[in-house]
Amino acid sequence: MRHKRPQPPPSPASREDVILFSVSGFKFVIAAGAVHEIRGLQGLQPFSLGCISVQLAKLKYTLERSGTTYFVVDAAFHFRLTPSHPSRLLILRNIPAAVLVDSTDRMMGISALHGLPQAFTHEERGWYRGLAVMDGDVVPVVNHNAFLSKTEQETLRESLGRLQGATAG
Amino acid sequence: MRAEHEKSYVLFPLGEERFAVPAEAVTELARPDQLQTFPHCTPSVSGVLLRRGKIVPVCDVASVLVGPEAPARKFYLIANCQRESGKEWTAIPVTGECELTSVSTEPEKPAPRAPSYITGVLAIGDGTLKIVDLDKLITMEARG
Repeated sequence: MRHKRPQPPPSPASREDVILFSVSGFKFVIAAGAVHEIRGLQGLQPFSLGCISVQLAKLKYTLERSGTTYFVVDAAFHFRLTPSHPSRLLILRNIPAAVLVDSTDRMMGISALHGLPQAFTHEERGWYRGLAVMDGDVVPVVNHNAFLSKTEQETLRESLGRLQGATAG
Repeated sequence: MRAEHEKSYVLFPLGEERFAVPAEAVTELARPDQLQTFPHCTPSVSGVLLRRGKIVPVCDVASVLVGPEAPARKFYLIANCQRESGKEWTAIPVTGECELTSVSTEPEKPAPRAPSYITGVLAIGDGTLKIVDLDKLITMEARG
């Protein structure tokens, strides 16, 4: 009864450094190369688009850093989790976003990235690049670009423009 | 010796009821294992199992087959289910150990109002068992 069917192998065994972090009791990893800096919560400025964009309600703060404005995403909100107690901020590289997380653990290497099973059909397909197995635990590898997608950046620009227009008017 | 028209089924229990799936759809009968979870929004998936290095999604169909009162599911039937872009191992939680049986009679047709994932009825011993098409059931569950 046991059929030996070929399973799609995990993607190439090139080692990737990742940072382990937690949000609302769940563990995640993010590519170390996607993170520019890990820091505390000092310097955050409250930010809200009010009812202009409910879609961007996950943006809670901004952070000014070296002349760049980073939009701060609440990871618990992003992953539809119960509100958590963030204490660390991951400033992302190449996109103007930073991510509030409860804690960061350690940097480690993964040698295989397993595809997210096809059984998962909802938003998580965008949230994750895949899954990693770390010490027997299955941990999602986040897609850092999903924290503030290109569409969301566009919506943000439009909403800010409307907000500035309304203020000027 | 196996008769030409004999067909094998895996029988799995869900509470007081037992169901049948064609044996060729079943990959493995697994003992209790640690269900691992991570945030997601797919209601039909309750988590994943790590089985011999493979990550296997767990689809709990008990509430569809026997209602919300199904007792705790401790074992897993791992089936090779059809997904949009190919087959994928899927773990179905069941309440007890599964059995393999061979039947030489043709299954009866299901009741006219039976859901489409019930493809037939097997007469075994004094009772009857519904035959479940897991692909259809899981696809329906995934669509909500």
